[in-house]
Amino acid sequence: MDLSLSEEQEMLKNAARDFLTDKCPKKLVRDMEEDEKGYPPELWRGMAGLGWMGLIFPENYNGSDMSFLDLTVLLEEMGRACLPGPFFSTVILGGLPILDAGSEGNKEKYLPGIASGESIFTLALTEPSARYDAGAIEVEATSDNNEYVINGTKLFVPDANVADYMLCVARTGSGARDEDGITIFIVDARNPGISCSLLKTTASNKSCEVIFDRVRVPGENILGKLDKGWSVVQRIMERAAVAKCCEMVGGMQAVLEMTVEYAKQRVQFGAPIGSFQAVQHHCANMLADLDSSRIITYEAAWRLSNGLPGAEEAAMAKAWTSAAYQRVVSLATQIHGGAGIMVDHDLPLYFRRAKAAELAFGDSRFHYRTVAQGLGLGAK
Amino acid sequence: MDFDFIPEEEAFQKEIHEFLAREMNEGIIAETESLKGLGPHGKELLRKMGQQRLLAPSWPEKYGGRGLSAVTQGIVYMEMGYFQAPWPIDGLVIGPTLLRFGTEAQKEKYLPGIAGGEIEFALGYTEPEAGSDLASVQLRAVETDDGFILNGQKTFNTETHYSDYHWLLVRTDTDVPKHKGISMFIVDLKTPGITIRPLYTSAGLRTNEVFYEDVRVPKESLVGEKNRGWEYAGSALGTERILWSGDMKLRFEQFIKYLAEDTRYPDIEVESPCTLEELAELKTKLHISALLSYRAAAMHDKGLPITYESSLSKLYGSETRQQLFRTAVRALGHYGELTGGSKWAPLRGMMEQEYIDSCRWTIIAGASEIQRIIIARSIGLPRK
Repeated sequence: MDLSLSEEQEMLKNAARDFLTDKCPKKLVRDMEEDEKGYPPELWRGMAGLGWMGLIFPENYNGSDMSFLDLTVLLEEMGRACLPGPFFSTVILGGLPILDAGSEGNKEKYLPGIASGESIFTLALTEPSARYDAGAIEVEATSDNNEYVINGTKLFVPDANVADYMLCVARTGSGARDEDGITIFIVDARNPGISCSLLKTTASNKSCEVIFDRVRVPGENILGKLDKGWSVVQRIMERAAVAKCCEMVGGMQAVLEMTVEYAKQRVQFGAPIGSFQAVQHHCANMLADLDSSRIITYEAAWRLSNGLPGAEEAAMAKAWTSAAYQRVVSLATQIHGGAGIMVDHDLPLYFRRAKAAELAFGDSRFHYRTVAQGLGLGAK
Repeated sequence: MDFDFIPEEEAFQKEIHEFLAREMNEGIIAETESLKGLGPHGKELLRKMGQQRLLAPSWPEKYGGRGLSAVTQGIVYMEMGYFQAPWPIDGLVIGPTLLRFGTEAQKEKYLPGIAGGEIEFALGYTEPEAGSDLASVQLRAVETDDGFILNGQKTFNTETHYSDYHWLLVRTDTDVPKHKGISMFIVDLKTPGITIRPLYTSAGLRTNEVFYEDVRVPKESLVGEKNRGWEYAGSALGTERILWSGDMKLRFEQFIKYLAEDTRYPDIEVESPCTLEELAELKTKLHISALLSYRAAAMHDKGLPITYESSLSKLYGSETRQQLFRTAVRALGHYGELTGGSKWAPLRGMMEQEYIDSCRWTIIAGASEIQRIIIARSIGLPRK
């Protein structure tokens, strides 16, 4: 049993940290919160130049053929840095699904552009019901000769405002279960029937309303199989949840370091507040939350990366880490006192992102229900 | 990164699991659940395990082990906990400290007996005035020509009444800062002058006050070097603190099985004594608890320095334990109040007993508050 990163992963981590410390300072993070697109093109090009977008794609698609576990190292550093922009959407919500379920034609057409940073992708999954179960999919795609016509509204779609392509999860049929009759379409975002507007969110991440009005999509743009898309969605959700956990772990690490630093410096009652027991206990609780989150997240990522069944571990990781990050930012805010709630302090950047991350791809309740399924309790 | 056991560890787990499945019996379980210490059935099991070298697989072969990893040692604790086998935890915890700091004579004298399940050790740390502030131990060892004379008192020494030897933390010097005047002794509990008086917790656990009145011990009783006992205690505590949650896993399974068969609530989705989220969170925390414990062992195997990781495992595991039994007793409703032996008591009243007993787990082996201080200091927070 070995729970440490490999040498190569350590190097990747250090290089990513150096790059982001230099190119993604908190000033840029704040500027991008106000920015329409949400990311600066130079930073995006820099990341592409380092091979980050192509990290996990095969070499014949311009990728580096590294593993999902290697990518989690990057994701942790991105969470630490509060990296703005559509990396997560493009790679985890666009590229990985195409790699996982796409035809050879899909992969050849889209993966090289993703890997090189030219194309931005996202996933249009949730709708105004804001739920993650199959029954919530009401956006319809009706067939018309060799095309499909998509109608309906998607809500909380990340980075749709800058996406070149969207994977749209639509209902093409019905069956005995809600999961039957769902299809994923690769949709060109420039389609005139698509209107996109930016929502205002607590984390100022670019979450969008996307309205599909008679959007025509060619038949060959189905990702995977007609009516059989839900199992692909589940795999996307699994990986997205674990990837989000990696970002959260990186954020928790940054918050703990910031808090310990502050506690060592801030003097009250003639002593650094970090010498007071209550503060020490809070910090210990933060480390307990960080370590426990990291260990279950790594286990889930390791399993998925090695092709082992990992649905339960992914659910445990997302459920636990989502709640843990909340506790960590709350305790950090307590320790920072008045300083930590001011708009120009870095801590609120993490506080707001912790909430967004908790809600993305299912919160604790959602994922604990998955874990509970494995207990075998049910109607008698 | 690899979350799997290596082949030797998997093979060992299979071996010990099958052994315990075969050898465990109601007599042993009754002794374990009585909370009165090691009994004849348990002792018999430990001897059998010792003969098969199942107790201390991570020790060198010449001392009765198999030279396997620290993770393998963790597997021993997990499996024994899961099967409700008695835990010779003291000997096993003391063993690594002896391996590091004991004289060769001491290693040869005691380690094979511990690994063989033949001799039992009791921890002798706590005193009335030395609980969390363990460095304040006062039991005095005065040096003589041929040994030492011991005078003083220990309390909450839980294994003494059935053990052969006392792993005793004593004061050998009163003219230095308190933690620099402490030594570790191994005392034969048959030595004249030692009186053991029982104490009982509200859960019924048997523990002891131990009185030393002019107890004469030979020079060889001193472990390692004089006045280095604090360091040895730290090492022993570091191993003891890794919390192995095998018994919690068993109790959780029993609890789930109870819920599945509970006719008061035919459909847990409609109405239930506890929510599915609560159960899922417990399952997740038990899983994480095991990972944190194995992590400490895996770090030991890789030669990585452990600073807070065993403290965290103890803190997390003990608080999860309390959450588990709090939830279980509440979910059982009025039935949760029924104690063992009562008519209508579910699960032999074990959830109630575990619930009352769970209180001590955030106090023993370093209270949660102490663990949090250790953790905080390990990440750089200053002393007052």
